[in-house]
Amino acid sequence: MENINQTSALSRLPILIFVAWRNIWRNPVRSTLTISALASGLIMVILYASLLEGMTRQMVRFATEISTSHIQVHRQAFIDDQDLYATLPWSYINEIEKNFPDIKISPRLYAAALASSTETSTGVLIKAVDPKRETRVTKMLEHVRHGTLDLGIADTTDKGIVRYNLVIGAQLAKNINVAPGDELVLVTQAADGSIGNALYRVAAILKPLEPNFDRMGVLMSIEAYQQLMYLENGFHELAIKANDANQLIEIQTAITDKFNQLSRQQPLDKMGGQAVVRNWRQLSPAVADLLEMSKALVYIVGFIIIGLASLGMLNTMLMAVHERTHEFGILLAIGMKRRWLLLMVLLESLFLSLVSAVVGSVLGLIVNNYFEEHGIDFSKSMPDGYDWAGMVFEPIMKGYLEPIDLLYACLMMIVVTMLASLIPSWQTVRLKPAEVMR
Amino acid sequence: MKQKKHNKNNVLLEYFVIKKHLKLFLLLPLLFSSFSVSAIEINELIQHIDQLWRGETSRAAMSMTVKTQRYQRSMTMEAWSKGKEYSLVVIRAPIKDKDIATLKVKENIWNYLPKIDRVTKVPSSMMSGSWMGSHFTNDDLVKESTFEDDYNSSITFEGVRDGINIYEVTSVPRENAAVVWGKVIMQIEQKTLAPQRAFYYDEEGLLIRTLTFDQPQKINKLTVPMRLTLQPEDKPDESTVIVYKEIVLDVPIEENFFSLQNLQRRH
Repeated sequence: MENINQTSALSRLPILIFVAWRNIWRNPVRSTLTISALASGLIMVILYASLLEGMTRQMVRFATEISTSHIQVHRQAFIDDQDLYATLPWSYINEIEKNFPDIKISPRLYAAALASSTETSTGVLIKAVDPKRETRVTKMLEHVRHGTLDLGIADTTDKGIVRYNLVIGAQLAKNINVAPGDELVLVTQAADGSIGNALYRVAAILKPLEPNFDRMGVLMSIEAYQQLMYLENGFHELAIKANDANQLIEIQTAITDKFNQLSRQQPLDKMGGQAVVRNWRQLSPAVADLLEMSKALVYIVGFIIIGLASLGMLNTMLMAVHERTHEFGILLAIGMKRRWLLLMVLLESLFLSLVSAVVGSVLGLIVNNYFEEHGIDFSKSMPDGYDWAGMVFEPIMKGYLEPIDLLYACLMMIVVTMLASLIPSWQTVRLKPAEVMR
Repeated sequence: MKQKKHNKNNVLLEYFVIKKHLKLFLLLPLLFSSFSVSAIEINELIQHIDQLWRGETSRAAMSMTVKTQRYQRSMTMEAWSKGKEYSLVVIRAPIKDKDIATLKVKENIWNYLPKIDRVTKVPSSMMSGSWMGSHFTNDDLVKESTFEDDYNSSITFEGVRDGINIYEVTSVPRENAAVVWGKVIMQIEQKTLAPQRAFYYDEEGLLIRTLTFDQPQKINKLTVPMRLTLQPEDKPDESTVIVYKEIVLDVPIEENFFSLQNLQRRH
């Protein structure tokens, strides 16, 4: 008996599908409106996901390519309070390069200083890099707004003072009013306690890398740094670019092991603490959190938008069921099974959401295509871009749609609308033929 | 506490250098204002100490030794002062820092850097930074001229401490005074009126640093401690020691000696 029932239900499916499809178009205006509402909701979700993903990608790109790189190594004391003396020995560089031929590394040094003139002085943060190695790891040195990037010796003054070139952040340049070609005096406390001071020529001004560097950053060569700071036995930071960003964790582990091994062979002084290897997610937890959050945000916002749109669906189906109660009563009276009736109403909802999904996806893809190519351009009002959570963003907001996001959006819409249509379908099940046919 | 906060918050300042002023050391202990106290004695006491190292005008030769966990360095310096407002310090040795000069006029501090032949000004935001890599701050130098306005002083103890008869002078900041210390206590020997020790407390009453005075010498019939040792409380193995080799009081110095032009021209 069971078997016969099941086969008969299956054999009736085509006719049910046919009837459901026809039922939708019994009121074409109402169905079209419902489809438009659902499709617009889907389009919005697609665009939202795309723009957020675009921002995320820009963020990751900035985080890894422009200045942070994939992995960084510091001494603990440098992480804690930028201890000038917490350096890693230069000999480690060769060891790392020898053992990891595939990755690119760049040592960096930091110090606080005053950029001075007779009238005023401003606190700055010196960042020293090896230009050759740095260009292999990040695009920091290509990020020039004005001037030409050059970190070599600029000239020698008539009193025999050698001036090195340096590069400064855009906001700092504005604050102390210097342009490429101008002179800058840096005064600081060198590592041996003496007063480090030197003349420099501003060779270029960098576009914003990160808010801190933009406001107070001064970039110079390691050679110039050592002549100013008398700090020659090591470096503060090792920036590492992995050859395959997807194997970050494996590479990080290998490098950590190597550093542990190196610090056993060539022990580090006690005060500086251990070498700490961190990847960019650990280095910028705010960014990593934002990435996590933005995913969750897409789902939450998408759910809300589609939930609202599916209220339209609910209304449509309630109306459709309501005006057909008489008809349903007759069907039941002549022996149609209640579950087939239920199935038919559900199929009607399914068709509505499927059509909406197709229409929404096609239109959404078309609009998204425009966003991916042109983006939303804020460069007139914000030529420097904007910073958010310590990251600098380009003024052009571009979309990027992951195919999987599109699939999820469609699936979510179909599931939500089907859930919404359970209410009208359930009503059909509870119909009493004798009452409704009266 | 503020002192600590400065150190932590402003990494920049940690590295900061900039100033060399002797007077600072001279005056630090001296700055207790007497006006708030009715007893004439405290007035006299404060004035006496104020005159000890400085007189109306002064010239001094001194050395400073800074010991930190990372380095130890000694410098010899020459200093001039006129009143509380003007002072000039020039480093004589070592070679690397030779002829670096710090000029203080009222609240302003400039440095002359011979290597690059430039005069630079120390901004107010750098005042809590280290002076010459020592444990003194730029602020110590500048605040000497406003100490009387910033603090109320009184004699809080007279009697024997560590076997010596002393006066104990306690200074607390006046309301609204923008100062670093919550309380400064100084012990002065009764017989010679020479300062013995000064204790600097933060706002929460925690001892931050101790300044010790010793090696007294008779100058113009007054007993002047020639060695000052500054000991930060949280770093017991670090210290800054200043030793005066020579102090000549009331030498004739014109006010324009303490000018930017002169700062640069002298070298």
